[in-house]
Amino acid sequence: MAANTDRRRINAPSGGTSAPVFAKPVKEYGYLQSLRPNRTRGPDELRKTFLQTGVVPSASGSAYLEVPTTTTSSQPSLIPPTSSLKIAASIQGPKPLPRSAPFSPTLVLTTTVKFAPFATRYRRGYIRDSAERDLGVHLETALRGVIIGERWPKSGVEVVITILEGDEDTWWGDSKAEGGAGSGWGLLNVLAGCITVASAAIMDAGIDCVDMVAGGVAAITGDGQKVLDPCPAEHQDIVAACAVGYLASRDEITELWLKGEVGADPDTLIEGATHAAMGSVSVLREVLLENIETKTKAAKEGSKRKLEDVEMTG
Amino acid sequence: MAPPQPQQVNLSPAELSFLRSTLCQAPPVRFDHTKGPKDFRSMRAEYDVLPGANGSARVALEDGTEALVGVKAEVETSQWRPSPDARGSALAPDAEMRDAADDEDAKGKGQNSWIEMSVEIPGFRDDDSLPVFLASMLTESLLASGGLKDRLYINTRFHWKLYIDILLLSPPLSYPLALLSMTTHLALLTSRLPALKSEKDEDPLFDDDWDAAVFLYPKSKASASDDKPPVIVLAMGVGPNIIFDPCMEELAVADSVLAIACANATASSTRARIVSVRTIDPPSHLTPPGVPNSMNSATGGTVPASSAEALTQRELLANSGVWTPPRGGMKRGLISQVVKMVVEEGGVAEEVISALQAIELG
Repeated sequence: MAANTDRRRINAPSGGTSAPVFAKPVKEYGYLQSLRPNRTRGPDELRKTFLQTGVVPSASGSAYLEVPTTTTSSQPSLIPPTSSLKIAASIQGPKPLPRSAPFSPTLVLTTTVKFAPFATRYRRGYIRDSAERDLGVHLETALRGVIIGERWPKSGVEVVITILEGDEDTWWGDSKAEGGAGSGWGLLNVLAGCITVASAAIMDAGIDCVDMVAGGVAAITGDGQKVLDPCPAEHQDIVAACAVGYLASRDEITELWLKGEVGADPDTLIEGATHAAMGSVSVLREVLLENIETKTKAAKEGSKRKLEDVEMTG
Repeated sequence: MAPPQPQQVNLSPAELSFLRSTLCQAPPVRFDHTKGPKDFRSMRAEYDVLPGANGSARVALEDGTEALVGVKAEVETSQWRPSPDARGSALAPDAEMRDAADDEDAKGKGQNSWIEMSVEIPGFRDDDSLPVFLASMLTESLLASGGLKDRLYINTRFHWKLYIDILLLSPPLSYPLALLSMTTHLALLTSRLPALKSEKDEDPLFDDDWDAAVFLYPKSKASASDDKPPVIVLAMGVGPNIIFDPCMEELAVADSVLAIACANATASSTRARIVSVRTIDPPSHLTPPGVPNSMNSATGGTVPASSAEALTQRELLANSGVWTPPRGGMKRGLISQVVKMVVEEGGVAEEVISALQAIELG
C-alpha cells in the first residue's frame, strides 16, 4: 500500500505512537491481569448514550454521539480501562448534482466514514483505509433502505462521519493488542454508533425517511453467554458478534453485519442486537422531540423578530 | 471520465414491474425459467491452473463472468513481541509441560495480518468501495474460524504469509461475491505448502519434493468432516420468496440481498456453520420509478398540480403494479428463514461445498 501514503504532509511514524505498555510491570506476575476491566453492567444492560443534534450550524443536519467509558475511577497505570465512542455526523444536502454528473432518478447517497488520526490506539492516516471504506459501505446500506430516494431525482446528499474516539478491539494491556490488525470487534460498535448518529443527523436535516434506523450490537462470549452492547475491552473472549441497523416500527433490518463462529443458529444473536437497537431508538425519539421543540421555538422567535424589524424600519 | 457505475441495469419501470411480479409468484418464475429458487447457475471450474502459485483455481459462469484466484505463500519472520502471559507462565512450575506440547502449540497463535487478500475488478480502482467490500467480506469469513491462520504458524520466529489474489477477468455483470468466493474456496482447497523438515525453533527448512507438500486444508480419509474453507452464498428476498444465486436482472428487483458465509459441518455439529452474514445494498434502490397513466398527460391522465399532490398520489400507488423502488429492510423472519435454508442438512451450503469438493476429486 505504498501508493496510499500521504506525501503532502509530514507524517507521524507509521508504527503509531502510544503510551508505553511495559511487557512486565515492575510488580509481580498477575498484576497486569488485576488491572483488567470487568463488565459491571448486566448482560442486557446498555451503556449510557449522549446524543445531540444541530451541532454544526453550516450543515443542513448534524449530530454528535458519545458513549462514555463505564469506569471512572482513577487508575494506577497508564493503560486506559475501557475505550469510549465519540462520533460526529454532518449532512450536506440534498443539493443538485453537478452538471457533469450523469442523470440519476433517485437521491445519490454518499457516505464517508473517517477515523480521526487520534481516534484509536494506532494512528490512522489522513487517507481512508480499507476498514473505513468498508464501514462507509455498511453505513450506506443501512441508510439507503430508509431514505425515500425517489423524491429527490437529480440530487445528492453527503453523509460525513468523523469518529473522534473509537472503541478498541481489545484491552490495551493484552499482548494481542500489539499487532495493530485486531479482531475487529470494536468496528461493530463503531458501525452501530455511526448508524444511530447518522439517523439523528438525517432527522435534523429533514430528509424523508420511512422510519428511524438505529444501531445495536450483541455478542456471544466464550462461555456461550449473550451480552448486549459489548465493550471489547471488558470481554476477553468474544466468539461472535453482530451489528444491526434496525427499523423499530416496521420490525425490519436494513443492515446486518454478523461475524465469528456463531454456529448454525444466529437468530438469538440477531435478536439480541435488535434489543440493543431498541435502546438507541428510545434515545433517538427523545432527541427527535427535543429537536422539534427547539426548531418550533426558533421559528416563533424568528417570526417575532421579523415583525419587530418591520416596526423598526417603519 | 465518469466513474464506472456498478451494476447499472437498463430496464424500464414496466420491465422491472413484470420481473418482480413473476418472481413473487408461488412458485417463483425466474429470469431463467428452467431454474427453481434454489438452483445455481451452471459453471465450469478448474484448479491448479497457475504453475507458479501454491494453489489456484478458475471458475467461469454461464453468463460469461470469470474469476481467477492464485494463492501464494511466503515465509516471513514474526515480529518478536514481549508477552507477559507467556513469560509469567514460564516461571510457573508447569513450564516443562508447556515445552512438551507439540501440535497444540500453534493453537491460537495465528494472526489476522498473516492473510492478505486483494480483489481486482476491471473498471474499478483498488480503493473503490466494491472491491474493498468484497475483500473484507472474503477475509472476514476466512478468519472467522481460527483454523487457517493457526496452520500458518511455523515457530516462534517464522510464519507463512498467505497472499490471496483474486482477479475478475470479465466485467462484473452480476454481483460477483458468490463467484469470487467459490473460486477462492477451490483455490484454497487445493493449495499446498512445502513440507517442513526442521523442528521447533530452528530456521525453517523445507522438503524440496513438491509431492511431499502438505495441503493447507489437511485431508483425512474420512473426508466428510475435514475443515474446509468457507463459501459465500448470495440470497435475495423478493416479496414472500427467497431466491438463491440471483442474476443481474433479478437483483434489479430485489427487496433485500443477504450474503451468507458458511463453513462445512464438522464432527461436532451435523449442520453447516454460519461464519459471517452481511446485507448488501440491492441495485433496485437506484431504479427509476414508473409514472402511472393517471398521472401522465400523454396517456389521458392529469399531471398533478403541485409537488405535494404528486407525492400523495405516488404513495397511493403502493400496490397498483406501477414500479416503485423498494423501501425498508428485511423482515427478521425472512432472515432466519434464509439462514435455515442455507445451513439445514442437505441445504444450500452443503450442496455447494460438496459440489466444489467433487470438482477436485473428479
